[in-house]
Amino acid sequence: MKRNTLVITAVLFILAAFGWAGWANWEYRRQAAERQQALALHAEVIPDASGGALQYVTPLQGKSAPPFTLEDLGGKKVSLETYKDRALAINFWATWCAPCKIETPWLIELRNQYASQGFEVLGISADDLDRDDPAKLSGEKKEIAHFVEKMKMPYPVLIDGISISEPYGGLDQLPTTFYVNRSGVVVAVQVGITSKDEIEANIKKTLGIVK
Amino acid sequence: MIANKIQIVMATAFMLASTLTHAQSTLLNDSRQSISKPLAVAYLYPEQVTIPANKPTTIALHFRVASGLHINSHTPSGDELIPTTLTIPDNSGVRLDSASYPRGADFTLPLDPATKLSVYSGEFIIQARITAAAGDHLVEAKLRYQACDNTACLPPKTITVAFDVIGK
Repeated sequence: MKRNTLVITAVLFILAAFGWAGWANWEYRRQAAERQQALALHAEVIPDASGGALQYVTPLQGKSAPPFTLEDLGGKKVSLETYKDRALAINFWATWCAPCKIETPWLIELRNQYASQGFEVLGISADDLDRDDPAKLSGEKKEIAHFVEKMKMPYPVLIDGISISEPYGGLDQLPTTFYVNRSGVVVAVQVGITSKDEIEANIKKTLGIVK
Repeated sequence: MIANKIQIVMATAFMLASTLTHAQSTLLNDSRQSISKPLAVAYLYPEQVTIPANKPTTIALHFRVASGLHINSHTPSGDELIPTTLTIPDNSGVRLDSASYPRGADFTLPLDPATKLSVYSGEFIIQARITAAAGDHLVEAKLRYQACDNTACLPPKTITVAFDVIGK
């Protein structure tokens, strides 16, 4: 009798120990899944396998471009909704971004080439703005305006892109361009500069010329 | 005899379960650390300097720019580019009299070979001339910089450069 009790106790203990281990395993997997979900909501800049260059991961591709309303340099409010049914390149840039200066003339040329087919570029400055300091804010707006004038940007330019960085994946690198088709769906995302040909290929995707 | 065997089995089962749980916990912590964002610039040393009190003294602050990236020098090639700048807050008991920055290296982006940039990459040293009051001071200097690689730029960033200054 005593032996049976000991055996049953031992079996129950072993079952409990493995049950505990199983629960710990389940908890680990649950937390890992939560982390994956959190990562899916935010684009991340992560070192690549070689530890050098940075990679960009964004979950926005294939989804609707997040709505926004921003001001242009004249203070007029402009929303994404205004460009409903247009094919768009939403191009985030900054005055301090040297690669943006290389890319902008390509965008201008291609925008002029494809404008008649319903394509437009929205240039969004991600320069910091001191909203609490009117004198500084005025100076910062002037710097942006000077850049726009110098680059001869013919398309709408909006400011305070940082305020919409979260829905657009953090904007951890510039330039970053979201290519949006006429249905408002992001069909391509380009981070950093590659080539004019790649920009054109993405514009064609927004227009449905190529998949 | 049987009781001893049962005790051994129970102890073994407990150890197995504990090891498994510990391994999972370690894995979880490791994976949490691996998703943190890398910094473009790291402060290397010194952690502590001893200098004569109330006498301007030059110290060398060592930094490293992450592999594959560069930052603008203190005198970048364009007005709109953000210079690398060191400051020390007023209330730290240590005054930054001046800072001597290294000359930037000429650099061109592969897609724009005509434009020369002035940048730091790899390790660089800022010679900071400081004056400290007598005593121990934890200085939290600030380094503002803006980093890029060959195709894209990271937003401007200000990091804290912490070191102890002992004024004797």
